[in-house]
Amino acid sequence: MPDAAERVVGTLMYTVDHSIEGMVHGKLVRSPYPHATILAVDISRAQASEGVLRVITGADIAAAAEIPNPLFGLARRDQPPLAMEKVRYAGDPVALVVADTPANARAAAESVMIDYDELPFVVDPEQALASGAPVLHELWPGNECGEWRLETGDTDGAMAAAEHLFESEYHSPMASPVPFEPHVAVAVWEGNSLDIWTATQWPAAVQGELAHMFDVSTERVRVRTFPLGGGYGSKSQLKIEPVVAAAARMMGRPVRVELDRDEVFLTVAKHPAKMWIRTGVDASGRFVAREMDLLYNGGAYAVLTPKAVAQGMLRSVGPYRFPNMRIRSRGVYTNTVPSGSFRGAMTNQCAFAYESHVDEIATGLGIDPVELRLKNLSCDGDRFATGQVMHDVHFHELVQDVTQVIGWNDSEPPPMSGRARGKGMAVILKTTAPGSRSEVRVELFADGRVLVHTSSVDMGQGVLGTLAQLTAHHLGVDFEAVTVLDPDTAATFDSMTAGSRTTHVADRAIREACESIRAQLALFAAEQMGVDPSELRFEAGSVAGPRGERLRYSEIVGRARVSAVVGEGVYQSAPSDALNEPPDVRGVVADHWHQGAVAVEVEVDLETGKVELQRCHGAAWAGRVVNPIRARQQSEGSIIFGIGPALFEELVVVDGQVSNPNLSDYMIPSILDVPIELTSSSLESADPDADIHGVGEMTIPAVAPAIANAIARATGARIRHLPLTPERVLRAILGAEQV
Amino acid sequence: MIARFLEPRDLDEACRTLAGDEWGAKVISGGTALVLMMRQGLVVPSTLVSIGHFDALRGIRREGSRMWIGSRTTHTAIATSANMLTWLPSLAEACRSVGNIRIRNVGTIGGNLAEADYASDPPTVLVGLDAVCHVIGPEGERQVPVADLATGFYATSLQPGEIITGLSVLLDPNRVYAYEKYVSRSSEDRPCVGVATMARFDGNRLERLSVVVGAVAPVPQRFEQITEQAVGTSLDDRVRRDIARAIADAIDPIEDGRGSAWYRRRITAVLVRRALERVSQ
Repeated sequence: MPDAAERVVGTLMYTVDHSIEGMVHGKLVRSPYPHATILAVDISRAQASEGVLRVITGADIAAAAEIPNPLFGLARRDQPPLAMEKVRYAGDPVALVVADTPANARAAAESVMIDYDELPFVVDPEQALASGAPVLHELWPGNECGEWRLETGDTDGAMAAAEHLFESEYHSPMASPVPFEPHVAVAVWEGNSLDIWTATQWPAAVQGELAHMFDVSTERVRVRTFPLGGGYGSKSQLKIEPVVAAAARMMGRPVRVELDRDEVFLTVAKHPAKMWIRTGVDASGRFVAREMDLLYNGGAYAVLTPKAVAQGMLRSVGPYRFPNMRIRSRGVYTNTVPSGSFRGAMTNQCAFAYESHVDEIATGLGIDPVELRLKNLSCDGDRFATGQVMHDVHFHELVQDVTQVIGWNDSEPPPMSGRARGKGMAVILKTTAPGSRSEVRVELFADGRVLVHTSSVDMGQGVLGTLAQLTAHHLGVDFEAVTVLDPDTAATFDSMTAGSRTTHVADRAIREACESIRAQLALFAAEQMGVDPSELRFEAGSVAGPRGERLRYSEIVGRARVSAVVGEGVYQSAPSDALNEPPDVRGVVADHWHQGAVAVEVEVDLETGKVELQRCHGAAWAGRVVNPIRARQQSEGSIIFGIGPALFEELVVVDGQVSNPNLSDYMIPSILDVPIELTSSSLESADPDADIHGVGEMTIPAVAPAIANAIARATGARIRHLPLTPERVLRAILGAEQV
Repeated sequence: MIARFLEPRDLDEACRTLAGDEWGAKVISGGTALVLMMRQGLVVPSTLVSIGHFDALRGIRREGSRMWIGSRTTHTAIATSANMLTWLPSLAEACRSVGNIRIRNVGTIGGNLAEADYASDPPTVLVGLDAVCHVIGPEGERQVPVADLATGFYATSLQPGEIITGLSVLLDPNRVYAYEKYVSRSSEDRPCVGVATMARFDGNRLERLSVVVGAVAPVPQRFEQITEQAVGTSLDDRVRRDIARAIADAIDPIEDGRGSAWYRRRITAVLVRRALERVSQ
């Protein structure tokens, strides 16, 4: 990572470090009630507090002429910057106190007096779907927040004819991505133009949605960001940008808001999910039919849920062949924290379900779970459940890699008395969005410097280093000559930094930009040398002519009397209409297929239920590795990230309130929780020009099911609820003993 | 509200300031607990009375048959002190298991006791060691057994204006100690259950035994009636199991994010037995 030293000593600029002249500070006042009508907001005391410049309420925003479309949302515009008329979850922002200092804003926020009339609330998605349930949004009176279906073959017929039927239900709780850097944004307006710096993974989405909110053209909204102190999905979509931009608009001066840690927990959470699965298996152990019902808790606002539940449905197909399949996937509004992206988004929940389920089938059939998988995994040329023909599919290689490294068939020395040892594995598929776009502009200067304009966001995954390396490679210059600039929507468009797509797409866009530069250099050099371009050869950083003459890139640019040679590249994946119209999905649903696997060895304390991860190995299909160190860090970092939700992370809701919105009560893994033996493989194609596959989320979805499967193989106890806490494990062990 | 930060000249001024503003003034030492509570809005002090500059409150000294530990001594200092590792290894072990290294380097033992968090390691061990808390206040100095210090969740018997200056522990080279900590979530979590044991043997014969169970109730609990029955035995496996079961039955466990009452009772039985095994060896 080119900025590693800066990160270590603390000089790297994050958005949280950014300040601009004359900015003032906002503090949000949040609802204590999960569902209530706002009767009155008394701002008089807060308004009179020291340093307070203005107190803004939802009603103020609703009445502001300069904010013609206050509701925002990428899937449904159902979310106000500040609650209007009613609050929909405990933590819903109701007012913004803006003061000269953060401390004054914080102090005054406590004196905003709000009268509420409490309404019945619902936090359970099934109860939210029942008739007579409290309604969150009048436009969606059944609380539905997306429904999709996938059907292929004759599922009922195949189930009826199947030799064996297996059926189970799996649960994933609410969890939090916990980025180190909180959400933070600074906005300033000049006339009808907005400049906003925000810690976001999706600058283009922020730009488009704010342009709509204020009814200005997108060119008038400029979104910039610095490297993020962690994203993990939490900085996808829009979060605090609308309220910050609205306050800056209404006050005519720069406004900054930085969330406190508890507010980060209340801003976005992982979708809690319940998944029911039934599988029909023939006498030879082949899967013949699968039926699934997926229910995702979307929380109080749609964010992306109506579309995301379609992705969840596609990913729930998993890496197996099913000639007959029927899936229903639904999102539901409830009075809880809005659900959004979480590293391995919409995949972790279903991978836990279907990979636990495969092991349950193997146990039921009395065959080895790896053998069962190898018999049923999809291969190149197979049709996905939507009819799309799958290519570049390597699930067998992944399973072979992780089982070989973990020593699947090796016999291990027996554990100490009172402990049990077992190995488990899981393999996953993740779809990649069709129709996404990335633009890159590369500039080569006469002094040899190369600037790369991109809107890919560095959030610790090392994008800056990767893009610099790709540029150096495709242009034929030194890595040190390349500088990758921070994202700026005024410079380039990029759909999002999410879904493990950036390296894949940036490689193609950068290659195109560099090819354009090289073509221009060839024309200039040919003219400068008096030869035909076809006689030229490119060497490292220079162009050689037929008579041994050689010009460095910098010399060519200098002699050409241009300020810089500029190349532009665009990556646009083929669009698909498969997901345009709910509920039925058919056709092309992925640009390419993400593939990963994890194998673990665990030891379980049979007296306490405590699970100790002894060894863990992950594998990702990388196609072509750009940087082996970063690829390894992604796969192993992803495993560490996955250990928390697998073993102990859960955002707990009691009486409609999140009861643990802090890092003492919501614990994330520490370095002591990382297995001593943690390794990974990035599998590559023999073709040096093979497609690069993203590796950012290939192992995380497999972590929880691999551990659950290892626990079951060690103890006989099958746990279908995450997290796999010691108490759940102990209860399951005792239950298994009693049977 | 923004708290005023006060550095008093001496302990006398500190006590008077605290006593003069019983609800608004809070003593601050390492700040690892207090600042978190302030961030969460659980306490809103108007004045923070710092004792961070009183070096006399820091340090570990052996004074004859007693060990003196200043209240400003950090967990790291206790965990790494040669005196501690020789004389009071279970206290060193408990302090080594608190939070993470950043907390241990700053958080102090006096602050830990004054916070009176039920889910904490050092108080359990200190109660088992019969440690005495030295306190100074507007009325002068007094001593309080650590066992009598915490009175409930985050509540102590300290009077307005009182500050813990240090701890003293009677040393006995014939005693063996153990502390067993069990965490149910991250390795850096506070204890779900903590068990401190102390035993003194005359040859094979158990002369004295104490078992203190922490983190299962508002304050650490000692079970003398149960442990007394083991005196005179060799503390063999059967006795250890009997004690463990009896203590697990006797506790009235709380429920929190670290485990249910059912689970804490089961873990207590396991942990007491394991801690007794360690002092039996």
